[in-house]
Amino acid sequence: MSKCCVFSAILLTALLSLPRLLHAQNAPGTTEQQAKQQSWNNGPPPKKAYVGKKSAPAPRRNLSGIWNAAAEGGVQPKGVLEYPALLPDHPQDDIGEQPDEGKISHPLPYTPLGLAALKANKPGVGVRAVGPGLVNDPVDFCDPQGFPRMELFEFRVLEIAQNRNQVLLLYQFYDNWRVIWTDGRALPDLKEAEPRWNGYSVGKWVDDYTFVVDTVGMNEKTWLDNAGRPHSGDLTVQERFHRVDYDTLELTVTINDPKFYLQPWQALNKFVLHRLPDDYDIQEFFCAPSETADYNKLIGNPASVETPQK
Amino acid sequence: MKHKLPLLSLAVAVSTFVVPLLAHHGNAAYNYDKKITVSGIVTEWIWANPHCWLKFDAKNESGEVTHWIVEASAPPTVSAQGWSHNSFKPGDQVTVTMIQVKNGQAIGRFEGDVILNGKPFPPHDNGSSGNPKGGPKP
Repeated sequence: MSKCCVFSAILLTALLSLPRLLHAQNAPGTTEQQAKQQSWNNGPPPKKAYVGKKSAPAPRRNLSGIWNAAAEGGVQPKGVLEYPALLPDHPQDDIGEQPDEGKISHPLPYTPLGLAALKANKPGVGVRAVGPGLVNDPVDFCDPQGFPRMELFEFRVLEIAQNRNQVLLLYQFYDNWRVIWTDGRALPDLKEAEPRWNGYSVGKWVDDYTFVVDTVGMNEKTWLDNAGRPHSGDLTVQERFHRVDYDTLELTVTINDPKFYLQPWQALNKFVLHRLPDDYDIQEFFCAPSETADYNKLIGNPASVETPQK
Repeated sequence: MKHKLPLLSLAVAVSTFVVPLLAHHGNAAYNYDKKITVSGIVTEWIWANPHCWLKFDAKNESGEVTHWIVEASAPPTVSAQGWSHNSFKPGDQVTVTMIQVKNGQAIGRFEGDVILNGKPFPPHDNGSSGNPKGGPKP
């Protein structure tokens, strides 16, 4: 009996040691270890990675997957992709200190109220960029981007998941998320419903490959984009997700805010998102107030103080 | 008339205590027309949002030490360029190409080549931000 116990103990020890022995053969620097390291904190490939790539057909009524919005310019640092706040003769340059957007390449149809609201927003980029100390971009204070700015600035990686009643959108920037209800409910009565950073969204399939989302009820604390384009509480947004094929999703975002804009306009027009592998690990991208405070203390504030050049 | 000077003094005092914020998506504080290259010893590497930053000490010919702080893009952006949270450690020798803030303080933004312990390190790419003069990616 005791021999049996000893034998069993030896066998058990050997079995328990096996994984460690196997692991020891994969010391740091081996291919397997590197492959494991690369399976975390992935970065989205650039546009050139998708040139000429063939795809399977689109699945029916399905947006699920991890999508690369960065490759086709989703970061949009100078304002929404279709209307960057840039001059024709300076197509990428922050000129700054211009009184309005009258001479930009694709002007927006502001109402007088909208124009006044624009001028109250002081961006750090674009034709109206202001100097240090004058920028009042809420994102610089770690405020939520809100919707639709989350698709019009720093639109990098988007994961989409679906269940019976919802489509869930998980955005990399600031680790934010939205719920699109697909259970047939109506949009809320805005006389009753509290304003939200991301608004209230309902969606429906208009055909097997096109999903349309309507959103209302955004609060007035957010900007539409990084160039300080304003919106009122009357803003409604329509997103049109079109699954072109298995690897390609197109997104059109239409802004409708009659108080601030004379007619609806498309901030994104068939903007392409590329499918990322199912095992793609999205790197976190929080806005941490303490880190932002450190940044401002060490870099932002000293850099902004006007002292004589040494 | 006699109140003018006190009022002016008050205005100056108030403006002195208004702490301005540099928009981390703004470019106006930096001199994009001139790149500089500085070498020194790393004291700290911070992996954070909105931007990472590197602290290092540079000694001039007369032995005076300048404490530099140089900001990089956000972690997801520099990760794609081959940087990581443990790219630099205290004691490392670095040579950094950067642009400096206009007010002359020892604050900069990575702008191109980096040499780490005598070897080339992946350069900091600001190119796709849309600013040909080197406006940073957020």
